Amino acid sequence: MGVIGYGLGVIGAALGIGLAAYGATTSMARQPEVQGRLFTVFILASAFVEALALIGFVVTLIAGA
Amino acid sequence: MTPSVAPVQEKGRAVNPLDKLGEEMDELLEGFTSTAIHGDLNRGVTQYTFWMLVASIVLLVLVFVFKKKQEACGLVPKGRFVNGVEFLVEYCRDDLCKGLLGDTWRKHFPFIASVFFFILVNNIIGVIPGCKPGTGCIGTTAALALVSFVYFIVVGMKSKGVIGYIKSLAPAGVAFPMNALVWVIELFSTFLRLVTLAVRLFCNLFAGHVVMGTFAILASLFFIPVMQQITPETLGLAGASIFWIAILLIIYAVELLVAAIQAYVFTLLSAVYIQLAEAEEH
Repeated sequence: MGVIGYGLGVIGAALGIGLAAYGATTSMARQPEVQGRLFTVFILASAFVEALALIGFVVTLIAGA
Repeated sequence: MTPSVAPVQEKGRAVNPLDKLGEEMDELLEGFTSTAIHGDLNRGVTQYTFWMLVASIVLLVLVFVFKKKQEACGLVPKGRFVNGVEFLVEYCRDDLCKGLLGDTWRKHFPFIASVFFFILVNNIIGVIPGCKPGTGCIGTTAALALVSFVYFIVVGMKSKGVIGYIKSLAPAGVAFPMNALVWVIELFSTFLRLVTLAVRLFCNLFAGHVVMGTFAILASLFFIPVMQQITPETLGLAGASIFWIAILLIIYAVELLVAAIQAYVFTLLSAVYIQLAEAEEH
């Protein structure tokens, strides 16, 4: 059950990273000169989103043990 | 992690290598918990501390070799090693310090660069098969996060005064009752930074290594039957084993990327927090 719950939790993180990548690519296509700055922001946003998925991963392991 | 030999199958019974996955996974997770290799858990050396020491020694050696080589070649850097290290240092200086901190970058550059290189070397040593990442243990990352936390709070208190910093947690220009509420929320989120900094780095390293280990176990479990008896069925399982190894290699490449990105993210967030603590109004 825990694994299924983790899968459900990851849907949110996947949507979040997907949205961040979507925004980053579209704005890079519109304005290629801000690429460097955008990359930093994109990595930052992904890191925030990803932390949630990873917390889910660890909770799954703890609950399973 | 040597999988025990499976009993010889009776004729006609399908081989299912996934049967033993559960116990193998337990063994894998056991390998990731801290165990003392010298002394006890409180006052000893665990495998993570050991590899962290190795990483620190590697880092020190790199610094001295770099210094020597750089002095040897004068002002113009020559060779792949000197150029590579200079590229990293300049990236750290221009992108992390100058880009985020503005005028005060010179003051914070030593701290930010040391955190960056420490985490980077630790992560990369952890990706080498057989080694463990010093940062793959919650104790190490919590200590690093605590250092960063204390650093940005002290920076904030130095630039605004103790009372000024505590007051500046709530944005100015909010009416009285909301002001207090926002202050409490901001205080909470400041302490949450400490937790997320530690947990993010730890989880990325830990999860990455668990995933790599799982695929290595799958590859070996699917390959065992073909070593006992060669039938079309076991040959098929061996083919699947090659597929697992291919995935393992891809994940290995991703882990190398994650090692660099997580060092970058930790340092970037530290720099952002320092900048927020120093900013006049936010």
